[in-house]
Amino acid sequence: MSERPKKKFIVTRFDPDTDDVPRTQEYEIPVEKDWKVLDALNFIKDEVDGTLSHRWSCRMAVCGSCGMMVDGEPKLTCKEPLSSYGDTVEVAPLSNFPVIRDLVVELEGFMDKFKSVKPWIVRAKRLAVEEGPMRQSPEELEEFKQFSMCINCMLCYAACPVVANEPDFIGPAAIALGHRYSLDSRDEGAAERNEIFRGEGTVFSCSFANECSEVCPKHVDPAAAVNQAKFAAVIDWATGLVLPRGGER
Amino acid sequence: MSRPANPNAMQPERPGRTRTAPPQLPPKFPFSGRYRAYTLFDWTGLIYLLLGFLALRVVWALGSGEPAWNHVIRDFEHPLYIAFHVLSLASLIFAGVRFFRFFPKSQLPRVGPVKPPPQPVILAGLYAAWIGVTVVFSLVLTGVLFQ
Repeated sequence: MSERPKKKFIVTRFDPDTDDVPRTQEYEIPVEKDWKVLDALNFIKDEVDGTLSHRWSCRMAVCGSCGMMVDGEPKLTCKEPLSSYGDTVEVAPLSNFPVIRDLVVELEGFMDKFKSVKPWIVRAKRLAVEEGPMRQSPEELEEFKQFSMCINCMLCYAACPVVANEPDFIGPAAIALGHRYSLDSRDEGAAERNEIFRGEGTVFSCSFANECSEVCPKHVDPAAAVNQAKFAAVIDWATGLVLPRGGER
Repeated sequence: MSRPANPNAMQPERPGRTRTAPPQLPPKFPFSGRYRAYTLFDWTGLIYLLLGFLALRVVWALGSGEPAWNHVIRDFEHPLYIAFHVLSLASLIFAGVRFFRFFPKSQLPRVGPVKPPPQPVILAGLYAAWIGVTVVFSLVLTGVLFQ
């Protein structure tokens, strides 16, 4: 049996009990040609250094748990083949997030921002069961379907230069999700969300770097959502000015 | 590790029990990778600011009589001014192309009953309008129109 080729991994480590700031540690391990970056991290964890901490779950780019910076780019490590990297691979926690330990980042700030856009169907009145299901045509579904593919992997937050500099910015994924519900034909909360989107640190903080869409592993195009939400917020504000009773039905 | 990001970026409303390391900016920000185009796009703002000052100077000369106007026109023949105008043209084309690339996808799928045209049609319309306006301005400035 031929010997497996080796790759060097430079992994960011941080132990809140002993380290003041994150440091790096190098591991040289044998790799298989069909491995993903996550397989290498799991090998290090299982065979070399059991103290390494990283998040992962599904291994099929669905759960969004294993997002990390790989050679400086936000990537889902379960999706990235090792063969697309050189002999040395740098792995670091997602940028723009506080680091809890090694490659594990703090998610609570993200969840706080997520809730602020009301990511659920808002109805003025709940439908009774006897009234039947709220039907939706394929055309109506198509209007928001792309934005509902988000897996909350937070790669867009790690790539966004505005997130890094404006702590109040609620960020691409949260806005994309809010916009997804505003476009949903069953939803009646678009006006509430437009009010939120006209506030500080929301859609108008975005300077359209488009990095969120470039790094999105599910091709959701959050930059499109953010900038469509800008249009929607402005149209909603303008119609409120010119229509009787602020355009309310 | 890259330089630190704002320490409050993505901090939770209530701090967790574990001490955390501060967040880091994306390692390639702002001068390498895809960020380069974004940073360059931002820097073109400086050129438009200078162009604005130049426009004010031209308008001021226009109001100050023929000698002042001729003086400004003579100044424009200086190589530095020509270089600045070439730089302005390049940055305007760069910013325009970038804006046109992103504009179609920022259209809402529907405004009331009205749906926007397909994205390639919007893009073609933007370029056609740009070329049309450029041609009209060129004809006016060369004296072919409104002589």
